[in-house]
Amino acid sequence: MSRIGVFVCHCGENISRTVDVEQVASAAGEIPGVAYACDYKYMCSDPGQNLLKKAVAEHKLDGVVVAACSPRMHEKTFRKAASAAGLNPYLCDMANIREHCSWVHEDKKLATAKASDIVKLMVERVKKGKSLAPITVPVTKRALVIGGGIAGIQAALDIADAGHQVVLVEREPSIGGHMAQLSETFPTLDCSQCIMTPKMVDVANHPNITLHTYSEIEKVEGYIGNFQVTLKHKARSVDESKCTGCGICMTKCPKKKIPNEFDQGHGLRTAIYVPFPQAVPNTPVIDRENCTMFQSGKCGVCAKVCGPGAVDYQQEDRFSVEAVGAVVVATGFKLYSIDRKPEGSPIQGYGEFGYGAIPDVIDGMTFERLASASGPTGGKILRPSDGKEPKQVVFIQCVGSRAREKGISYCSKVCCMYTAKHTMLYHHKVHDGQAYVFFMDARTPGKGYDEFWRRAVEEEEAVYIRGMVSRLYQKGEKIVVMGSDIQVGVQVEIEADLVVLATAVQAQDGADLLAQKLGISYDKYNFYSEAHAKLKPVECATAGIYLAGACQGPKDIPDTVSQASAAAAKVMTLFSKDQLERDPVVAKVNEKYCVGCLACKKVCPYGAVEEKEIRDRQGNLVKVVAYVNPGVCGGCGTCQATCPSKSVELDGYTDEQIMAMIESL
Amino acid sequence: MKNKLMHLSNETMNVGFVKKVEALSGSSVRRCFQCGKCSAGCPMSAFMEHPPNRIVRLLQLGQGQRVLAGRSIWYCASCETCTTRCPNKVDLAAIMDALRKLSWDADGPSKESYVQLANRLFIENIRTYGRQYELRLGAAFNMKSGQFLKDLMLGPKLISKGKLKMFHSKNKNIGEIEAIFKRIEEMRKKGEAL
Repeated sequence: MSRIGVFVCHCGENISRTVDVEQVASAAGEIPGVAYACDYKYMCSDPGQNLLKKAVAEHKLDGVVVAACSPRMHEKTFRKAASAAGLNPYLCDMANIREHCSWVHEDKKLATAKASDIVKLMVERVKKGKSLAPITVPVTKRALVIGGGIAGIQAALDIADAGHQVVLVEREPSIGGHMAQLSETFPTLDCSQCIMTPKMVDVANHPNITLHTYSEIEKVEGYIGNFQVTLKHKARSVDESKCTGCGICMTKCPKKKIPNEFDQGHGLRTAIYVPFPQAVPNTPVIDRENCTMFQSGKCGVCAKVCGPGAVDYQQEDRFSVEAVGAVVVATGFKLYSIDRKPEGSPIQGYGEFGYGAIPDVIDGMTFERLASASGPTGGKILRPSDGKEPKQVVFIQCVGSRAREKGISYCSKVCCMYTAKHTMLYHHKVHDGQAYVFFMDARTPGKGYDEFWRRAVEEEEAVYIRGMVSRLYQKGEKIVVMGSDIQVGVQVEIEADLVVLATAVQAQDGADLLAQKLGISYDKYNFYSEAHAKLKPVECATAGIYLAGACQGPKDIPDTVSQASAAAAKVMTLFSKDQLERDPVVAKVNEKYCVGCLACKKVCPYGAVEEKEIRDRQGNLVKVVAYVNPGVCGGCGTCQATCPSKSVELDGYTDEQIMAMIESL
Repeated sequence: MKNKLMHLSNETMNVGFVKKVEALSGSSVRRCFQCGKCSAGCPMSAFMEHPPNRIVRLLQLGQGQRVLAGRSIWYCASCETCTTRCPNKVDLAAIMDALRKLSWDADGPSKESYVQLANRLFIENIRTYGRQYELRLGAAFNMKSGQFLKDLMLGPKLISKGKLKMFHSKNKNIGEIEAIFKRIEEMRKKGEAL
């Protein structure tokens, strides 16, 4: 006969308001097998926990049911208390009479009856429960960082500085990401390259960081502490071990007029190229679609001029497998394009802004390149169409963002600040020019941010106009911008030389595919989902995978760096242990009855079920059965519900326990 | 005029006028971030075609001519509630003063407004008599504004109650008052006063 203790909590008045807790306790005392039952105002408080500990000793209890809140709230608390009293923590369970009862009912009599039933169920479950021990899993102390922008760089450096090995993977030929493209950064106007490039060099030189550029994630297997990640190294056509980065191949390449992606298509590059002069690594890559050698088989100039013989036209994509214990995802963002979109796409372009067909209507990133000393104009603000200096520049905020009809309802967070910065950069470079900004709200929370925006208005003479632009159109050399000042209540028309659109921040292309490979969740905009919006902002729901930067949602540089360092700290916490402990609520296969149909394997959402061969002593195959890897199993119980021979069971939720619970009612 | 389409460019925005307003008032116009607190508390707001915040907004857009074309600045009672409550240290009462001064100089708006005329006659009276001579003020206003019979029937009532003196009495220190006017004129020439 069991000796179960039942502890009913008032939760202040949260439970006792609608449930007669004394009656629940006295009813619980009548259940066969219950040796002790009581109620208390705050069971989770120190005296409440002591009450439980004392009762376990005094009444020699062999199981505990705490009738209180949701197990999500306090299961850990009470299991710890039970454990301190010498009980196996998995023989302590919660009967949720708050969220499942008192909070959702009004009739006290009925609610009390229901609470008693819930307690009865849990008593039956604990009676049939078994002592369980936490599962230990080894940890590979090596981290994978996906994405080489500022988020990935910061996370990689922090983890590597803590003494752990880091594999940093970047899709493009160089690390640096969007931050390397920026001219100056708000709110201090320090040059982006000046603060970014030293960090890029640190990554390249760090003994603990292995850098793979021009590489992508092919496949991810395993679980927390034990991931196997297959990387695809795209053919660079240049042997990284031989190349000295002298750059002669680029000066001799006859194909010189390819729009440079790094300059948003406004500069030109060769077919063999590095994205920008400060690239890390400084190894060129051949753009095979634009290379004469690859297109027609005739040329080979770069191979001829290359001293060390690093150019290799035969190079093919290659694959490697990396064993890591944790993954930091830092894949960043892309900017919304106002171009016409194919039908069926949830995101729509902007017909009223000419669908991107007017050459002097550019996005914010293009303006960054125009303002950047390393940009296509050498830092002079010249408009793309005719290279003239624009005297009237109109900035339009919230293009794409906060526009539900266009498919995006969120705020892109960084545009208010970078537009204020743009007006300043413009004012510094074109003294007789005038900047106008059409805006709905100026959203500038952040240290020194509002002051920065006010500086743009009060000292740098930007004219901010509250109200959106209805449409714009080309008229001769000018672009006519039709808007309104809703504060005055008049329509406003400006003949602009250049229009800069603060287009929305969107998830990177292919973010959803990568999430599927990693087994992490993402929202309808393909931004990755954190485990808890407030308390677990860098963890994914999938253990061992962490988020950093704009891949989780629009973020500026300070926030991105903070999150990257936070993700690195989480990785270090994980790596501080040699073995991981985790909840033993996992499925176990009864190999005697398993017929090896592997229906469980098909339904398992965690990929935890494997095939296992059972052989006799001579090595002859007896049968194939299912095996659940306890390190991967998430304890959802889908296999248990699916198994036709009832030979897989979830510890803590066995068929015997469930049946006993049902029978008690 | 109020709702006419506004073309914005370096030519149409009269930044010089705004600079003058800022110099005269000693208050920044650009500081205002259009919270609307001035208009919320202004006792005359309801009578103005441009409430106080919109006056500042029009100045921010270099639209001084739109401000001067209206009568709002003459409705301002100079109670300074706006200045007292402004969260951004914009001295709106001083801006209003500056605007009235500029309007006066430009002989601007108030050909259609009697407010300016009344103010002018008021000051002239002070200079001539050293104190107010209401009968003359009323008569001169009615003559110059062309509304000869305006408020005429109030006259006997006021006279009977002793509120309206038939004959003026000059201030005996009229010379000192004249000196004040002279001094202000000097300061104006030097640009030290409005």
